Amino acid sequence: MAELALRMAFSLAQITVVMGVIMLTIMVLTLAERKVLGWMQDRMGPMEVGPYGILQPVADGLKLFFKEDIVPAGANRFLFSLAPILALVAALIGFAVVPFGPDTTIELFGIQFKPFIISDINIGILYILAFTSIGAYGVILGGWASNSKYSLLGGLRSAAQVISYELNVGLAIVGVLLLAGSLSLVKITQAQAGWFWNWYVFAPPFPQLLAFVVYVISAVAETNRVPFDLPEAESELVAGFFTEYSGMRFAFFFIAEYANMILVSCIAAALFLGGWNAPYPGTALARMGFVQFAWVENVVWFAAKVYFFLFLFFWLRATLPRLRYDQLMRFGWKVMLPIALGNILVTAIAAYLFPR
Amino acid sequence: MKFKAWLKTITFYEILVGMAATMRHLLRYKPITLQYPHEKRTLPDSYRGMLALLRYDDGTEKCVGCDLCEAACPSRVIRVVSSEVPGEPTKRYASEYYMDMTRCLFCGMCVEACPVDALGMTREYEWAVYDKRNLLLNKQQLLAIGDRSYPVREKRLEFQHPNVAFFNVAFKNLPAKGT
Repeated sequence: MAELALRMAFSLAQITVVMGVIMLTIMVLTLAERKVLGWMQDRMGPMEVGPYGILQPVADGLKLFFKEDIVPAGANRFLFSLAPILALVAALIGFAVVPFGPDTTIELFGIQFKPFIISDINIGILYILAFTSIGAYGVILGGWASNSKYSLLGGLRSAAQVISYELNVGLAIVGVLLLAGSLSLVKITQAQAGWFWNWYVFAPPFPQLLAFVVYVISAVAETNRVPFDLPEAESELVAGFFTEYSGMRFAFFFIAEYANMILVSCIAAALFLGGWNAPYPGTALARMGFVQFAWVENVVWFAAKVYFFLFLFFWLRATLPRLRYDQLMRFGWKVMLPIALGNILVTAIAAYLFPR
Repeated sequence: MKFKAWLKTITFYEILVGMAATMRHLLRYKPITLQYPHEKRTLPDSYRGMLALLRYDDGTEKCVGCDLCEAACPSRVIRVVSSEVPGEPTKRYASEYYMDMTRCLFCGMCVEACPVDALGMTREYEWAVYDKRNLLLNKQQLLAIGDRSYPVREKRLEFQHPNVAFFNVAFKNLPAKGT
């Protein structure tokens, strides 16, 4: 009983820390996106709130908190309230299996804990894929329950897009899973230890470069970001599925979008870029003698990889125009899907011929 | 040639060129925007801002109530009520003069049309209001704008050009128009 209570307490502490870090990252991201976008377009971005606008996320959060909560006439109240929660929970729950740091165990009060992962389940990646699919329900239910044609169109588009691109995400990951022989993100990351050519982007016998490209493009599409932001195309659909949302419910969708961005970046880092592993064997801190602080370097490497992907999201947004809907579908089904399937075939043959 | 195009497609060549362009702008960050309320743009010399009614250097209104500005205005901003100067049946002035600035498109045709240069365009542009009825300006308001934007006033026409003073011999006593 005491052991169970202790485990729960430790898990709760972990969840609190992870949620805090994720929320903080989202706050930073909202500002960073506007700043980076501004700089790339020769603007300054937000400059008013605080020095150089660094308090803008706080101001935005307060504004959303105090805004009127409007439920449009004729809306399905239950689903209207449920949809943002569904989207946010599905986006945040995936972080439970993401390894943020090395797979060490610490012993506290006679019980062993893994400090850098909330729950190391052996089907981690499958779990994440399942819950990101549930996020599509939030989007489509929110679109339908709003009783607005723009929301409905946005929701439908989003559902079609998320489903078609989730297929590509899943198939792109399969190559990595074949090489690693495990669905657990911890095991996959451990398999990429050593020099950076052991990362699955470059890994022999068959580098997963194509799968990586397919994954990144599909991840952008899955998180409804530019250039695949058709569900919320503001020039066509006002704001897509969250047109009718205001206040905290809108904030939930907003946070869900950014949490999804972070999640797909975490997966990309863990699966293709070696997760917490440094590009060189071991860690520099451990070699210098600070073995107990080696995890700092690992966490920093993981964060650096995640932030690289997040910056890539902003970079793509600053550069590319939106795709047309038929282009999006054709690209997903006729280009990405065959590439992903071909990659699986070649990887399977390579993994069979050159077992590691 | 076809092979080259295909190669460009599969390597995302065009997208990479575009991303290089945005990255170049990020690295050589030189904003072209101004932080508007804190810093303001230098206006060009011929800037067409808020309209104003002007006065002569003795404080009398220039406007003679001829209605030509009203006729010239393409968006019917101006309404002039012309009347005789009391006691001088040959002279007229605008007893009422309204401008609905919500409609004004700042083309400057009224200023060009005015035969006595009674209208001027100032360099004011910060005329955002909470109530758009505040933008229906009457004569006093327009004169006030002119007073604060044109501190240097012209002399009366007959003193500017001695040759036209001949036509004004009848008016030795300069009338005080309006109020």
